[in-house]
Amino acid sequence: MAETDDRPLKSDTLHLDDFSVKQQPNHQTVPKYYGEALLAAARVDTSILALTADLTAPTETDLVRDHLPDQFVMAGIAEANMVGVGAGLARAGFIPFVHSFSVFLSRRSFDQIAMQIAYPKTNVKLVGFMPGIDSLLGVSHQAIDDIALMRALPNMTILEPASPADYEDAVAAALAHEGPVYLRLYRATAPATPLNDVPPLQAGRIRCLHHGNDAAIFATGLMVEQALLAAEDLKTQSINASVIDCASIKPLDVEGILDVISQSKIIVTAENHTVIGGLGSAIAEIMAGNNIARPFFRIGVQDCFAEGGSRSFLFGKYGLSAKDIAAAIKQGLAS
Amino acid sequence: MQTGNRRSLKELRDTATTIRKDVIRMVARHGQGYVQQGLGAADLFTYLYFQELRFDTANLNWADRDRFILSTAHNTAVYYATLARAGLLDPATLTEYCLDGSPLEINASERLGPLVECTCGSLGQGLSVAAGLAMGSQRQQRDANIYLMLGDGELEEGQVWEAAMFAATHKLSNLTMIIDLNYMQVEGDAREVAAIDPVDAKLENFGWQTIMIDGHDFDAMFASFAAARADTDRPSCIIANTIPGKGVSFLEGQKSHNMVLPENTADDALQWLEADHG
Repeated sequence: MAETDDRPLKSDTLHLDDFSVKQQPNHQTVPKYYGEALLAAARVDTSILALTADLTAPTETDLVRDHLPDQFVMAGIAEANMVGVGAGLARAGFIPFVHSFSVFLSRRSFDQIAMQIAYPKTNVKLVGFMPGIDSLLGVSHQAIDDIALMRALPNMTILEPASPADYEDAVAAALAHEGPVYLRLYRATAPATPLNDVPPLQAGRIRCLHHGNDAAIFATGLMVEQALLAAEDLKTQSINASVIDCASIKPLDVEGILDVISQSKIIVTAENHTVIGGLGSAIAEIMAGNNIARPFFRIGVQDCFAEGGSRSFLFGKYGLSAKDIAAAIKQGLAS
Repeated sequence: MQTGNRRSLKELRDTATTIRKDVIRMVARHGQGYVQQGLGAADLFTYLYFQELRFDTANLNWADRDRFILSTAHNTAVYYATLARAGLLDPATLTEYCLDGSPLEINASERLGPLVECTCGSLGQGLSVAAGLAMGSQRQQRDANIYLMLGDGELEEGQVWEAAMFAATHKLSNLTMIIDLNYMQVEGDAREVAAIDPVDAKLENFGWQTIMIDGHDFDAMFASFAAARADTDRPSCIIANTIPGKGVSFLEGQKSHNMVLPENTADDALQWLEADHG
């Protein structure tokens, strides 16, 4: 059928070659931003270890495996055990970076993370790839609730960089904080452009990527790109929106966020995650706690499970596109 | 610090009796608790803290200490009593066991301090952390062993087997797991809840050295812990058959997870322990 033929045969986001023996030649054209950052850090600090649960290439830890084999630990397909082993290694003085897909790391090892990492504040860095609904692999592989789970844990820091260009700073920020950190990352499919004129990503700081007083879009991870596209589109209609990168979901930059809100008529949050318990909830808590009322919209997965598909298809179907953000702002201004 | 000198059987037995009396007193204050498990594991705890583990009472954070993780974190009456008798905890604090605000919680937590190497209680997690500690210790080339006590019911947790495979894969020979095999869990006989037997063959097939012993026989403990230390290729598991309530004839063999211990029963038990060994 013609309509079937129009659909993408391969996800624009899934690195299928990582699951096959033969690597595709074009793979080398996109840098492994996270893998390179971790490797560089591990060369400097030999107490850094990379642990992975049979997902070495998809978590870019093949670079540590190949260049610093003594600092690589294959844990097998056993995430709960890997988290416990990471906690033990941290107690012995190492700095374990524990890798899997976000969905497995958070759901399959939540109790282990709570008891062996968050409670005792062990210096373990949890690194989850394939965030939100950004996956062809389907509902089993989609982490739509990991931010909510990690936010609920005392002592946990959560960083979700907007761009792979920020991964080096994200690794540095994770190391600068002695204690549990959850890094929520996606893999670059094209060379990343560094953000101009903004300070480096830091825990507890927002960054304003675009200025405008009509509305403020608080976004994280992949949704920052959508927010910037929405702001550009709105500008052509004389609507000025701020785009705020909330890479540090916990701790939140409460003061900075209140400052932005005080200058904005409409507040929109955008996250590649359920709207329950994530960034949108966190911003709502700040507003309610400070007696601030504004038209308020949470862009994200609307309390449902999704299915496998390309990023553009899923973001369109589940209301996570730039168009959805722009529509929310226009609705707010019209009311 | 333990010197490695072999203690006499009488010394170990007398210590175990003292610890059993502590267990009775600690649980009796509450009228109910983990008395049967405590009496059952008292000989193992005595051996561990008075013969096997190397630690420094003046520096609990000594980097080269042997580490002990109590994965059955509820078996704290015997654990705290042993720590107190070994000079690792002020014996006066035993009276605070399970009182509001006390760090001597019913499930051991890190509020107690560095002696609790990780907070268990959520079953199945201890072996993974022990494996991480063992791997870390090996990488740092420390002459330190990692010990873990696990309940038999805990073998029903899948994570235990993930960790068992991991420890064998990475040849964590500095790791010794002690299984307190009393076939007792909340629901009753562990063998009826799940097919946990044969524990030794299961772990042997997972790549472990396994040694079955009578968990009340100190001579067997000397031999089995020596064998565990001697194996430089595999992690070891000492499967210790223990009798709940051991040491007090009228409590022996009574299987009760959180047993009621009325005052008069506690008094009788203390008298029995006095008469037997006093």
